[in-house]
Amino acid sequence: MASTRVEHAFSRVGPGFAVVESVRVDQITPRARLGITARLILSIIIAFVMLIPVLWMAMTAFKARPDATASPPKVIFVPSLDGFIGLFTNRTQLSAAALAEQQQRTDLNFWERQTLARGMRILGPSKFVSQLSNSLIIAISSTILAVTLGLLSAYAFSRYDIPGKRDWLFFILSTRMLPAVVVTIPIFLMYRAVGLYDTHVGMILLYTVFNLSFSVWLLKGFIDEIPIEYEEAALVDGYSRLQAFRKIVLPQCVTGIAATAVFCLIFAWNEYAFALMLTSEKARTAPPAIPANLGIGGIEWHVIAAGSMLFLIPVVIVTFALRQYLLRGVTFGAIRQ
Amino acid sequence: MAEIELRQVAKKFGDLWAVKPMDLTIYDGEFVALLGPSGCGKTTTLRMISGLEAVTEGRIFINGKDVTWLSASQRDIAFVFQFFALYPQMTVRQNIAFPLESQGMKRAEINQRVAEVVKLLEIGHLLQRKPPALSGGDKQRVALARSLVRKPACFLMDEPLGALDAEFREVMRAEIKRLHLAQHATTVYVTHDQVEAMAMGDRIVVMSAAEVQQIGTPAQVYHDPANLFVANFIGSPGMNLVPGKYVGDEVHLRGGSVYPTPPAWRPTLAARWQRDDVIVGFRPEAAQVSETGAIRGMVYASDLHGSYTMLHVSLNGELRPNGNGEDTIVHIRARRDVHYVIGSLVRFDLNPEMVRFFDPESEKAIAKEVRG
Amino acid sequence: MTTSEAVAGGEPLRIKARRQINDRAIQQLFIMPTLVLLILWNVFPLFYSLFLSFTQYSHSGKAPPVWIGTGNFDALLNDPKIWAAFAVTGRYALLSVLSQTLIGFGLALLLRAKFKANGLLTTLILIPMMLSPVIVGMFWRLIFNPLMGIFNYMIGFWNPTTAPIWLKDHALISVVIVDVWMWSPFVMLLCLSGLKAIPDYIYEAAEIDRASPWRQFWRITLPHVAPLLLLAVLFRTIEAFKAFDLVMGLTGGGPGNVTETVSVALYRMVFQGQARTGMASALAYVVLIVIIAVSNVYIWYLNKMKEA
Repeated sequence: MASTRVEHAFSRVGPGFAVVESVRVDQITPRARLGITARLILSIIIAFVMLIPVLWMAMTAFKARPDATASPPKVIFVPSLDGFIGLFTNRTQLSAAALAEQQQRTDLNFWERQTLARGMRILGPSKFVSQLSNSLIIAISSTILAVTLGLLSAYAFSRYDIPGKRDWLFFILSTRMLPAVVVTIPIFLMYRAVGLYDTHVGMILLYTVFNLSFSVWLLKGFIDEIPIEYEEAALVDGYSRLQAFRKIVLPQCVTGIAATAVFCLIFAWNEYAFALMLTSEKARTAPPAIPANLGIGGIEWHVIAAGSMLFLIPVVIVTFALRQYLLRGVTFGAIRQ
Repeated sequence: MAEIELRQVAKKFGDLWAVKPMDLTIYDGEFVALLGPSGCGKTTTLRMISGLEAVTEGRIFINGKDVTWLSASQRDIAFVFQFFALYPQMTVRQNIAFPLESQGMKRAEINQRVAEVVKLLEIGHLLQRKPPALSGGDKQRVALARSLVRKPACFLMDEPLGALDAEFREVMRAEIKRLHLAQHATTVYVTHDQVEAMAMGDRIVVMSAAEVQQIGTPAQVYHDPANLFVANFIGSPGMNLVPGKYVGDEVHLRGGSVYPTPPAWRPTLAARWQRDDVIVGFRPEAAQVSETGAIRGMVYASDLHGSYTMLHVSLNGELRPNGNGEDTIVHIRARRDVHYVIGSLVRFDLNPEMVRFFDPESEKAIAKEVRG
Repeated sequence: MTTSEAVAGGEPLRIKARRQINDRAIQQLFIMPTLVLLILWNVFPLFYSLFLSFTQYSHSGKAPPVWIGTGNFDALLNDPKIWAAFAVTGRYALLSVLSQTLIGFGLALLLRAKFKANGLLTTLILIPMMLSPVIVGMFWRLIFNPLMGIFNYMIGFWNPTTAPIWLKDHALISVVIVDVWMWSPFVMLLCLSGLKAIPDYIYEAAEIDRASPWRQFWRITLPHVAPLLLLAVLFRTIEAFKAFDLVMGLTGGGPGNVTETVSVALYRMVFQGQARTGMASALAYVVLIVIIAVSNVYIWYLNKMKEA
């Protein structure tokens, strides 16, 4: 009843303010405006709830061990760098005498003093340091390769009338759909036979192949958007095909290349199944390694959180940078918005 | 049917006026065309009448009822969109039945009403097709059918022919006119095409720069433009507007010709015109080429239009526009069978009935005083 | 493309011929590396494992593969554990895809409204989708933990002794929850693009035609979004059938084999226990056939949308 009365009042006197935007009458009724506000509030709540796990991870990363495993969980805590120290270093517990001796020293750096405060001494860098650097090396190298090769193929598929073009493209994309576990078994045997198991080269090549189909499809979409007339004009002016490609096409799809590269980086960075089955020590990347830290000295949640956070931060940043290309990326360039 | 009244209706987008306060009454059964260049506020005006745009100021009445703050669905109007706005996933039949189903009408009655409009518009063969498969003209027929089927109080049409090819446009223009004559429904029709407005409108509302310039019948708007904008905008080419000095009973036109004012205008100009500058306006067909004509100029170009020749005449004797916007090239109509050499001299007189005078400062037409 | 003819059309024949040869060389130079890599790393291994699937072989032993015909496939079809893994995968795919579709579509409907912050909110909601599934899965272990986790507290179980122990008692549901958290934004993203593509004037026409909001939703919004929604469902179904990373991070397939999806079963078969490589290759082929069937529909549909 009340709302009907409000609507009646609205239809007699209007919204009570000057409408200076383009809007339908039914969209500025009190009920419609209330609806918009409600949706805004609901959206904010949902976005917040969705992010709680990520926020919780970031909080846990800065907790000391007792706070990280407290029950009930602690929302308010004293920040600590224990997690990061645990992540990057190997430490040893000191005896009372050794502790007293160490405390006399004045040449300790910030991290060493932090560790000492917990009765421990840093022995050296942990394995995580090399695993993180493996992740970086493998992701970056494979991205460069996948984008370079993908760009060439995408150009050819976009500009030439290749026999059976549709079938080739179909084949290329279908390789992307293969479950990692399924292809890993023969690749594992193959790698073991030729000595690529647990090597950087092996992983770089594998991720290159893994990303190639994606990069061909996405880049073809970007190149398709560049009008062919520019190249035709260049060819008429006496450029060779390769010159036209370098001077006309490349500069125009720089953003497309960048977006594709970032997607490839994320895929390689996040990849788990291949890394788990095809590496063990030397070339092991962070995703299979971080869960393995569970085993060290019970469950060190603050250490895991610290590692996870460091690992996820770049992805979160990149998500913002990529936001207008996300749809294109996840649909292999089929939907452009 | 319905009468629509706008009282001081205005729309602002931010600080910008889209439509300055305007008054307009559209009588029952009338066909009114809102005419103006793009961005003049004509579509915004139409959308305000429909409720698809909320007004910033003023009131709107339909049949005496204040509908300013009623939503479009409560106003009993039909709207025909420029891009048809047919529902692409529904068949033509479903599209036409949609507004009736929305009201919860009984199936039998829906079928009967759909059959009526389908017959009226002769689109029976399209019923099972979907809009993307239709030609532009057929899409517009379906859109018209969908708006007619509900028997609304009035029709609002937003450039309904704007998205059609030239060939369909003429056919559909006749069709809309025929429907209007048959139904006699109050219709407001937005267009930027003056031919459409002149051909279809009982009255024309000429708009420009968010303001109403003139409201009148096609003949009034054509022969008695209220100001320089209307004079220039209506007709192709528009009215010739030549600035000059008013001395005694003569106007010394720019370019050197001396034009004796028609006797009927002399009292008006003498009594009410204290300044010495004036703009003389005349349509191409007001000029009569003659050896003894008062106005002389040089033929600058001549286009054969079939039934007549349109001469471009430079009044200052130069064969190129002088580039400062004050060109004195006028268009005059001449007989088709005389060949005019470019650069030759031509003289003409003006039909005194068809000459108009404008105030160069206010840009408004000077009204002729009628003396008993 | 008719580029080369069009450009060379007016030139002497000699130049035309040369340019075409160049073009062919460029084509092959540009495409070959990609195809060679794909063939070496995808096609060859598939043939190799096809061979292995008809053999008895363990990569941890020294014995070479022994041809046993369809023995592996017979054994697989009669193994209740394999059927169980398929059942787990099917249930998981059904539950998570269904929930993601509903939630994702709902989110899209919510976020299509024209308020100022919706670009930022959309991007924030999309973050989970971009994260590493294994890390996400692992971290949710802490969140589900009955003592130290926040999940039970957030949904209203304040007493750890009576609260559900998610990863033990409702392990599959837990995986579904995390999967829905990660991938509903994906469905939302696709639906949002479908919604944004509906022109305003369609809704204006519906308002003029006096359609209620309910009717507008069923007759206009839903049919418009349906193609993209179907695309999202297909893609998520394929991914759900491949589920591995998230499950490994969250439950490792356990407790027991309650959350053992086909991929996890496959992994366990090869890399844990007795390394039954031949048998696993056979299972891989079964999975492959299922995936290829679904993904062919998907790629076909993707192509169709691209051309539309």
